[in-house]
Amino acid sequence: MGEVTTFFGLSLQIWLVIIMMIGLFYMLTRTRVPAEVSFLGAVTFLLAMGVISEHDLLEAFGSEAILVTGAFYIVLAGLMTTGVLYWLSKHLLGEPSTYSKAIVKLMAPAALLSAMIGCLEVTHLFTDLVKIWARKLAIAPSKLLMPLSYAATLGGMCTLLGHTSNLVVAGLYVEQTGQALNLFAPLIPGLVCTVVGIALLAFLRNKIPPRESPEVSFEETSDYTVELLVPTDNDAVMQTIDEAGLRNVSGGSLIEIVRFDKEVISPVPADEYIFGGDRLIYSGQINELLELKNTHGLVAADHHVYSINEIDNNRKMRTAYVNFGSDLIGTRMCESDFEKRSDMVLVAVARQGKRVDEQPRQVALQAGDTLLLECPSKRNTDLEMTYKRTLTFFDSQFVPQLGLRTVISASILILMFMLSSFQVVPLITSTMLAAGAMLIFGCCRMDSITKYIDLDFLLMLGAMMVFSTAITKTGLMTMISNPILKLCAENPYIILIVMCFLASVVSELFSNLSAAAVFFPIMYHQAVILGCNPLTFTIALMTSITISYATPVGSVTHMHIYGPGGFKFTDFLHLGTWMHLILLAVNLITVIIVFPLH
Amino acid sequence: MNTTIKEEEGKLIAVFNGRLDTLAAVQTAKDVQPLIDADNTEIELDCQDLEYISSSGLRIFISILKSVKARKGTVVVKNINDEIKKVFEMTGFNKLFIIK
Repeated sequence: MGEVTTFFGLSLQIWLVIIMMIGLFYMLTRTRVPAEVSFLGAVTFLLAMGVISEHDLLEAFGSEAILVTGAFYIVLAGLMTTGVLYWLSKHLLGEPSTYSKAIVKLMAPAALLSAMIGCLEVTHLFTDLVKIWARKLAIAPSKLLMPLSYAATLGGMCTLLGHTSNLVVAGLYVEQTGQALNLFAPLIPGLVCTVVGIALLAFLRNKIPPRESPEVSFEETSDYTVELLVPTDNDAVMQTIDEAGLRNVSGGSLIEIVRFDKEVISPVPADEYIFGGDRLIYSGQINELLELKNTHGLVAADHHVYSINEIDNNRKMRTAYVNFGSDLIGTRMCESDFEKRSDMVLVAVARQGKRVDEQPRQVALQAGDTLLLECPSKRNTDLEMTYKRTLTFFDSQFVPQLGLRTVISASILILMFMLSSFQVVPLITSTMLAAGAMLIFGCCRMDSITKYIDLDFLLMLGAMMVFSTAITKTGLMTMISNPILKLCAENPYIILIVMCFLASVVSELFSNLSAAAVFFPIMYHQAVILGCNPLTFTIALMTSITISYATPVGSVTHMHIYGPGGFKFTDFLHLGTWMHLILLAVNLITVIIVFPLH
Repeated sequence: MNTTIKEEEGKLIAVFNGRLDTLAAVQTAKDVQPLIDADNTEIELDCQDLEYISSSGLRIFISILKSVKARKGTVVVKNINDEIKKVFEMTGFNKLFIIK
């Protein structure tokens, strides 16, 4: 056996993995390179450097986590298309008499559904509905959206399908042991955490901040900035703004004119002439200002317009918020080709329910900003799918048709769960059978399922698995694991608590998928060294990394409600930290009782 | 930027030379004041050597047009280059002035 060259006590391969980890951290936190591209780049680097083999790569991308997630996307497509999820979400909420009852009424079914179809899907599904419900109950949407996010995460802890990170941990466990985990393996700790979590949230409900919903702000607030363009053939050209009646208008006033040569006229004198191509910046009530399109022939446009006839009369105003990780973050519409590419025009921007005191198209956008966009009249669902990573529209266009196929797809889902939970077939088989059945029974069409399959996410998942293999193969896990073992005096309880705490912190700061990929090989190794049951460590890790509530970065569901709820980044911190610590303790106690260490 | 005013056969002609940008617009506005104050009904703006016009420059052109129209006169804009022609088309000025 050849001698391994070491540098500062570590092998070259370990150094390469460390360099890759630092590079990856930099890419994810300091650049706008999409996560899946960063991970695939890291995987290519490891492959080129010989740290991992082609076999490792193929094994990771063909792993159970990837296949189950991929097949489950088809099952979800069937459930969405046939309206099962639409029907469920619509009929599960009632009209509770108090806010605390509303929390329970929302959280219990959301958690149950999340265990069945996944936390993110439930959050997506319920968001619009909860906002309408909040209006009906006269409660700020944020007061119900936050419980929704908690419920989805808590419910998702109960099954392998509830969180993608559960599938990743389960997949890594299969790789190590050759034994597949049952669909309901994390059920008991998940259920205990869900019950405690719902009770805790109902108790701490006053800590949930009431935030104004951004799209309601667009409708009701009297101080927003709207940008409209004067077409060349407009009658107001060569008139003064007073003569044209464009200075003090119903609902607001003109605060700025931006000329074709970027000259900004502010404040605008009454005798200022209007030129074709002028961009008029108004401050005031949005709906009334937008009436200027009808009354004065102004248009919302990203490019010069010679005649109002060039603009499609049927274009619609829609509100959307900027997603976390969106490529629009930090960009200004006036410098970007986004509007041209998407055929959407930015009309106004709101940030946390308040006016942004700049020309809308000059605003450097931030995650969570609410945009008022003029959108094409047709292809609305296509628009949503194409830009789903960039923007989330408040008014989803999807209205499914309920019928026989609704019953069929619901039956397929139940059957899938039964086959897997009674261990008639492994989870991967039941999911693939369900996906096939959805297609055979016409619950979703082959040409439309691509809309539901998140290929970027599957790529990232595969890269995570490879990343985990690299940590194991190079011996990096031993290097990290052994000092912790010594530090904790090889006490398995202390090690379990310390590792789960660290994993949940990593999950808060990055993502639960990263935490799963890094911590699984280390914790599995520790369990084996200590002669403990590796399943205890596996389930403890699986459930701990989902309890990341203190930041919207750590929780995908928090991230989803951030924009619609009009939240601030710090809104999650106070309540989230307490929930994180209490639920982590409850979870670890339950796991140790249900899955004894020896 | 240089502006010369001359009178030929009862017609007042302003000859522009250079770049009529925001900075130059203040002086140019003073230079063309005779066109606004005069009684002549025929005004010609010769742009043969005008390289560029900003929105401030267009504002001067509009002021001239407004005053001449008030005395029922006409303003002819001559010899504009392609770039200025595009600006005129975009702002709608090509429909307001007689362009030759």
